Order: sequence, then structure tokens, then C-alpha cells
Amino acid sequence: MISSEFRKEISQTDIGKTINYCYQCGTCAGICPAFRVNSNYNPRRLVEEILLGFKEKLLHDKNIWLCTTCHGCLEVCPQGVMVSEMLFELRHKAVEVGNIPESIREEGVRFSQTGLNIPPSAAIGRRREKLGLNAQIMTPIVENIKILLEEVDFFKLIENKNQEAESNE
Amino acid sequence: MSEFALFVGCVIANRFPHIEKSGRIMLKNLNINVNDIPEFNCCPNPTGILQISNEAWTVSAAHNLCLAEEKGLDILTFCNGCYETLKSTNVELKHDSELKEKVNKALAKVGKEYKGNIKVVHFLEYIYKNITPEKLKETVQRPLDNLRIATFYGCHYGRPSSLLNFDDPLRPVSLDEVVEAMGATSVEYLNKYTCCGSAISGIDEESQLKLLKDKLEQVERVKADCICVICPACYMQLDGNQRKLNSKYGTNFNIPILYLTELIALAQGVQEAELGLNFHSIKVKELLTKF
Repeated sequence: MISSEFRKEISQTDIGKTINYCYQCGTCAGICPAFRVNSNYNPRRLVEEILLGFKEKLLHDKNIWLCTTCHGCLEVCPQGVMVSEMLFELRHKAVEVGNIPESIREEGVRFSQTGLNIPPSAAIGRRREKLGLNAQIMTPIVENIKILLEEVDFFKLIENKNQEAESNE
Repeated sequence: MSEFALFVGCVIANRFPHIEKSGRIMLKNLNINVNDIPEFNCCPNPTGILQISNEAWTVSAAHNLCLAEEKGLDILTFCNGCYETLKSTNVELKHDSELKEKVNKALAKVGKEYKGNIKVVHFLEYIYKNITPEKLKETVQRPLDNLRIATFYGCHYGRPSSLLNFDDPLRPVSLDEVVEAMGATSVEYLNKYTCCGSAISGIDEESQLKLLKDKLEQVERVKADCICVICPACYMQLDGNQRKLNSKYGTNFNIPILYLTELIALAQGVQEAELGLNFHSIKVKELLTKF
């Protein structure tokens, strides 16, 4: 199903609205490291599909997650389209319908529970002491993080929606 | 003497503490005083949390900025990811009053307020701009003469340039000039500015390893002695996954990966045992005999 509104939905932010300047030259694909090694990820084509309104396909497509986030496309675009950041916004919409890689979802859970992406471990604590460092250097105020994440409705985004992911296989 | 809040970041702190060790020694030798703020949270990760929610990323980064503001200290980071997150957020909040108001409304719930009166710097940025390669050279006791180094900047050191606005986003020079100031030769190689692929680990392992292979092949072709990095995600990919790549593709790569902090500390005459270089996955012993 085609959604002629999808382009407008993406264009709602300052970053998103740069998509309207795209003339499909493909310079973004030329610099894209993900495209170089896996043709399932093509930033030019993703932009084209947004413009054409392939909303349902894109929001449930796992391949939109193959970006390495290097931001090369954003720097080289002759039209000033903020490609990588605009595609982050596509991923935010995909997350809302449960299309999120398990590794990223788990990171979200870890962060919301510990305030860290890589929490400390006993083994690393010992290694740190061996090096003459404090056993722990990052001890965040987890309560604050939880309150802040609640404020921005983060928790519903990292609920386990694996059923959706599996039906997309 | 300059004074900073040190943002170690959770990858270095809780996975590669030897990088933190060399970094602290290097800063001391450069007369840079750093303070720890244990309450810092994960920056958060610009390749993870940011891809889930822009709001969550911004407000959590602003929380870190508030903690440093309360101490009246600029932030110095050892990590590209932390640098991108904290500097981008700082710049955006300083220039977007609407966003600032929104973020402060959330921060008020935890008794914080973002004011916008500190700066965020990457340790290489500070060495290059404020200390300068010439002054760095004066602290060198054991020059890196004869070392052929393949430098690798990673992605989040200069991009997006609209927010980070320091070195050239596509052809940066600061790292090359810094390693050359210590006596080494920076060698050119293909794929020098291409992403290491670390961010798609856990999503597309095959592509992740292909990007690693592409890079290591080119570094081997120009016979570099080691790769010098400034980002723990690149370090994790290049050092930690080299053996995995070898076993999967039958390759035989054995290229040492040095963090810039380690190279500087070594050049400043610090002993290898003190730096914990034995924690590298690819061993560096032979490299140390070359200079």
C-alpha cells in the first residue's frame, strides 16, 4: 500500500525536510560502507522509497538497520540532504511498530536499568585494580535516568515485540 | 595548567581499562588536570540509543552535561562516540532555545537545569589545537622513529561536521600530524577514511567482518607496523575481532592496534608494563622493539 503522506511525516523536522531536495544522484550510495559490502542497504533507494510512499514496506524492513552510522552520506550530499540523520528518523518510526534489532533493544534495556551501555563486571573490576585504577569509575544515578526515560516515553519502545520480528522473517 | 572533567565512557572503563590507564598517564605528562565525576551515565551511545529515540538520547546526554556544569568544568573525552553525543547535544542545546526549554522541563524532574556554560573536547582535538604537535614533541623521550603507522580516525570524530565542526569531516589531518610529531611516519592507504564496521556487530556480522577485512588488507599492503586509533569501538573491532576474522576467512592478519594515548605514553618514556599492553588481543611485543 502506498502512503502519499509518508514523505510529509518524515518532513516534519528540520532534518527530515531536507529529503525534499534529493534528486537521486546516488552520491550517498557511493560513499556508503554498508552498501559496499551488502547491497541490501542502499541509502539512495531508501530515500526514493520514502519519497514514493512505501511506508509499510520500509517500517517493517529489517534492512533499514544495516547502516553503520558513519555519516559519510550526510557530508557528501550535493543537495544538503541530511541522509543518515533523516534515516535515523525512519528507524525511530520503525521502532514504534516493533521493528528493532534485538542487540539494539537489549542496549536500550541495559541503559534503562544501569545507566550504562557496558555495565561493570567483577573481572574487569579486578583488572582495573591491577592497573592501579579504581574498581569502578562510572556509578550513574540510575533513578534519574529512569525518570528522564519515563518522561520521553522510552520504555514502550524497548518492550519485547519479538513476535512481530519473527513474522517478518 | 588546564582542568577538565574526564569522561572515560563505559566501553573504555568497563571493557578496555588499559586505554584509560594510558590516557591518564598521558594527560599527567601533558600537565592536564582531570577530575572524575562518578555520577556520569553512558553518554549515551550514538549508534544505539540514538537510533531508538532522539529525545531519550538528548535528555540523557544533557544530564551528563549538567553534572559537569555543576562542577564548573569543561568535559574531555577519550572516545569518539561520547564526543559526538556530548558535543552535538551541547551545541544543539546552545543554539536551539525551544529544544533547551523542552529538555530543561524533563531535567527539572530530577532537579537539574542545563545552562550551556561548558565545552566538550576530544582528547586529540585538545592536543592538536591547544597543546599543538610542536609542544607535544617536547614531551617525547623515546621517539617513534622508524614506525610506519596507519592512522584511523573513525567516523564520530568529525561527523556530522555541522555539529562537531573541527577537523575536516572527510579528510582529517590532526592524528597524522600528531603521530608524525612524535617521529613516526604516517602511511597512506586505501580505505583509510572508511568506517570500521563496528556499529553493525550484532546486526550483520558478515558485513561487519568484510569491512574489517577490507581495511586490514590495505594496511598490510602498505606494510604498516600498526594502526593507531582514537575510538574504543574501532579498537574493539580492529583488535578484538582480528582473530575471529582469521578463523572465519582463513586469513593471517597480525596487525597491532594502538590507542593514541598508548603511543603518546610510550613516546613519553612510560614502561609497557605500566600501561597494561598485555591486555591487547593482538600482541604488541615485537612492535615495541622497532623504535
